[in-house]
Amino acid sequence: MSRQRSATTTLQRRISVIAIAAAAAAVISVAAYAATPVEIQKQRHEHYEQLGDAFKTVRDNSKGTPDYAALDKALAVIQKATENQQQWFPKGTGPEAGKTRALPEIWSKPDDFTAAQKLFTDKVGPLAAAVKARDVDAIGKAFREVGGSCKNCHDSFRAPE
Amino acid sequence: MAEPVINEGPATAPAPSVSPTRVWDLPTRLVHWSFVIGVAFSWWTAETARMEWHRWGGYALLGVVLFRLYWGFVGGSTARFGNFVRGPRAIGSYLRGAWQATPGHNPLGALSVLALLGLLLLQVVLGLFAVDVDGIESGPLSLYVSFDTGRACAEWHETVFSVLQALILLHIVAVLYYLLFKRQNLIGTMVTGKRVFDAEMAPMTPASTVKLLVGVVLAAALTYAVSQAFQF
Repeated sequence: MSRQRSATTTLQRRISVIAIAAAAAAVISVAAYAATPVEIQKQRHEHYEQLGDAFKTVRDNSKGTPDYAALDKALAVIQKATENQQQWFPKGTGPEAGKTRALPEIWSKPDDFTAAQKLFTDKVGPLAAAVKARDVDAIGKAFREVGGSCKNCHDSFRAPE
Repeated sequence: MAEPVINEGPATAPAPSVSPTRVWDLPTRLVHWSFVIGVAFSWWTAETARMEWHRWGGYALLGVVLFRLYWGFVGGSTARFGNFVRGPRAIGSYLRGAWQATPGHNPLGALSVLALLGLLLLQVVLGLFAVDVDGIESGPLSLYVSFDTGRACAEWHETVFSVLQALILLHIVAVLYYLLFKRQNLIGTMVTGKRVFDAEMAPMTPASTVKLLVGVVLAAALTYAVSQAFQF
């Protein structure tokens, strides 16, 4: 009994250590986010990598028998991106700040850029509906539309590799 | 002073009694020129981001590579690996000029064939697993690997293409060297399948049409299965 209790205490202690560490990491990353344009570029890059990872999951599961748990997770990442993408491009984080494929047009043509971002958000709507409805064919169709909206923005606002 | 001998021209040409010898069977020649078209097409579709076509180009090349591997074991005599791949001693004797020309690859050219075919296979396989930076475009087998692995394959796909380009360039330079300095037209032989030797030679032995059909069906079936990620 007492051994079990002490095991529980150790576990609780471990959890609280992890929680503190996680909180500290969050604070540090927020601090870094506010810190330098280069850091913002790096974070932005990571956001898009997560988005790429999520898109791959959707693509992999857009035919045959999808893994809906994976699709739900990927969709959550994509929807979060539609909500947050406006904040990923603060002024001063273009090519003048460091190596990035983000083109200056993002800041010189803000209306066009916002419209391109909005198109992405708009196209994610039907994808979310298709995933919710567990409709494979609709997922495939909606995914192609989302892919088109990515390309639309990249063609004008991302430098070629 | 003794130079004018060169100008004799026709007198140094092979005696009319020597007829062209069969060197390459039709499948081997078709494979070769399919590689030329396939690599050029894949290069162009990649550069211009036509990824749907790029996948088709990759499937076509995969099918042809698979067929060539099969043909290397059951095809015409000059297409078989067992007949043309030779050791360092043979390569050495070829380099010293002590090699007696016979229909088929010379020992050094055999290395080029292996390298080009191996790289082409590697390149196609990497493409099958590759994922683009946005996770939107990918090879059919990428669903079996993670995003990061798929990205690594895409980067290797680019690197291996540079190596492949270098080897193709070397291949072209070698063929031109034969044409201009050794007065031997390898390109014509790869088109007609025939070459005129200095003396009468035993031609290559072709393989049966049945073997050809079996190979085509096998390569096509396997390629189709890969393109569908083995999910039917």
